[in-house]
Amino acid sequence: MKTAQITPEERERAFASAKKPEVIDKQKLKVRYHVEDYNVADRPRQFLEAFSAILKHSNYRMALDHFIRMSAKCSRCATTCQVYQATGDPKDIPCFRSELLLSVYRRHFTLGGMLKGRLLGNGYLTDEKIEEMAESFWNCTACRRCTMECPSGIDHGLVTHLGRYILSELGIAPRALVVSTREQLEGATGNTSAIPVPALIDTLEFLEEDIKEELSVEVKFPMDVENAEYVFFPAVSDFLMEAETLMGIVAVFTVTGDSWTTGTGYFDGINYGLFYSDRMLERVVKKVDAETRRLKGKKILIGECGHASRSAKYYIPVYCGGDKALPVINIMEYTHRVWKEGRLKLDPNAIMEPVAYHDPCNIARQKWIIEKPRELLKAFCPNYVEMTPNRDQNVCCGGGGGTVSIDEVRAYRTGVGGKLKADQIRASGCKYLVAPCANCKKQLRELVEDQGIDVEVVGLHDLIYKAIIWDEKFKVSSSPAEEIPQKQEDK
Amino acid sequence: MDALLDFARGPLFRFSFAILVLGLLRILILDIWGIIEALRKTDDKKIPWKLVSIRTLEWFVPVRKVFSNRPIYSSLSILFHVGLLLVPIFLYAHISLWKGTVGFGWPALPKLWADILTLLAIGTALALFTGRIISKTSSFLSRKQDYLWPLILVIPFLTGFICANAGVSPVLYRICMLTHILSAEIIFVLIPFTKIAHCIIMPLSQLVATIAWKFPPETDEAVCTTLNKKGAPV
Ligand code: SF4
Repeated sequence: MKTAQITPEERERAFASAKKPEVIDKQKLKVRYHVEDYNVADRPRQFLEAFSAILKHSNYRMALDHFIRMSAKCSRCATTCQVYQATGDPKDIPCFRSELLLSVYRRHFTLGGMLKGRLLGNGYLTDEKIEEMAESFWNCTACRRCTMECPSGIDHGLVTHLGRYILSELGIAPRALVVSTREQLEGATGNTSAIPVPALIDTLEFLEEDIKEELSVEVKFPMDVENAEYVFFPAVSDFLMEAETLMGIVAVFTVTGDSWTTGTGYFDGINYGLFYSDRMLERVVKKVDAETRRLKGKKILIGECGHASRSAKYYIPVYCGGDKALPVINIMEYTHRVWKEGRLKLDPNAIMEPVAYHDPCNIARQKWIIEKPRELLKAFCPNYVEMTPNRDQNVCCGGGGGTVSIDEVRAYRTGVGGKLKADQIRASGCKYLVAPCANCKKQLRELVEDQGIDVEVVGLHDLIYKAIIWDEKFKVSSSPAEEIPQKQEDK
Repeated sequence: MDALLDFARGPLFRFSFAILVLGLLRILILDIWGIIEALRKTDDKKIPWKLVSIRTLEWFVPVRKVFSNRPIYSSLSILFHVGLLLVPIFLYAHISLWKGTVGFGWPALPKLWADILTLLAIGTALALFTGRIISKTSSFLSRKQDYLWPLILVIPFLTGFICANAGVSPVLYRICMLTHILSAEIIFVLIPFTKIAHCIIMPLSQLVATIAWKFPPETDEAVCTTLNKKGAPV
């Protein structure tokens, strides 16, 4: 599937920048995302120092050496990239994006490159190149679909990831991500949405009451329970924006009776470090591990969020103990398992409208969780439809790689990054679009709004909430008898 | 002329072949060493072997890949690689040369097949070259070596084909043969230092890309120390 190139008017809209000229001047950066003030002096030297420090303490050198030897410049990746399809700008060809950084590596960190550079006296990293990288690496959604199409096996997503990390050491990183991460790691609330604990507890109690009113079922969000099987970390923004997802999750746990808890010490699954800095990635992952251990929890349970799941699943073992690290599971795995075990009953005709499932890149690309949510959905949505391509070949929502949290690039995300996805959604004819990811949900809602598509974007558990068949034993007996039939009439 | 031919066939061939083998060996060892080092440094040593193998094999038997994306270019590229690999290795004349010097050989391609594959390699190389010029995306990415390689590779195939088939005059035969051998030798020497090095490390690509995401632990502290950023705010 391919999307059409944007028109000049669409381009103007998508690439419009709200940045003041004096800020651009001062920061020597034309990028559309906001950046906090940083030291602009001698950026090439700063960049190379950061690059060298990172190479020294990482495994990137192995990959970069391999990539520069392999790169065949076949341009097969171009046709896969949803950004390139939309812009038609050759600078958006994934291989070109990678070459920006690979060429710096070749010139400054390989013997041949250094010799050649010295002899010919050229190729030294320039300010312009740094600006180009700052623009290019954040135009990419880090979806890693191009990687699947590269015969040479160059992981363009990895190169973008590294490029952003190096830039962040200079202070060039989207302000939205940096500010949130600062609050998460150093702020009073300790989470990216700056939710204080009392507000969190209020919210959860409110949801408990809501469910009781709606279903006459008593549910409980357990807080700070020690020795629980699962310690729960959703994208913290879910507490503000995805009440229905949380209601579905608490409903599932109510039915199964398994022990789970949220810790008041730390309750945020979001990890923007994955998008801009390995150092931050490490710090955030360690907070998740520490809170789970504080509560003597057995497993880390991540809510409906792609990048939160990937950063915990892949980086808890990396940063918190390797073989001995705590197991990490995603909520969809849990719900699928209890449903398979027959502990969760779903009404086969709960949702009659056409439903499609969107694979979050961070969950599907490495073939981690693909069939489970589909099996669940098919169990209660008789009109389940697929968007193609899907599964590990899925098309990104267009807000991946942290870009969804950068509000000032919304027009770009919904006009360029998400354009192919919009076509896909339209073609599927779905009414409900299920996206088990806080990032994807926000992006897809903005996408369908900006592109004028009549679809409701929901989480998987939002729908499960509607489909659960409750055993009588869960119904609250104390509620007035006449209230229940009344409720059903309302339905 | 004969002396030159002998020199090209003898010492020069041995020299360039040694560079080819040693150069590729060096790259292979460096690559594998990099992988071992990376795995040693990270605490997460689990490798999803199934996924890595599938994604590696998909490129060696690229049935699904061919038609999923740029089918014409992809088919041309595959046919080109088939000719490029099979002809030099399974040509009767080459095998008998080997047999003469090292004492062992292997089954050869029938002459007709060898000819067809040679023409296929030449044709597809020229087509790929043209494609690179015409395609907006390829030409944007291409470096000098990307244009030169298909052309350089055509030379030994073309001259070899002439020598094997056309009833050319002895002088012309010798010129063709000399060009054939010399161009092949230049190719041998260039392979380890250019993108053609992919012939040896390509099977490791998916593994490298997988392991690259496994970082060493405690790098936050280490990078901070190196960059004098200890205690600096986020
Ligand atoms: S990671 Fe995704 S957005 Fe970025 S270059 Fe590759 S296909 Fe395009």
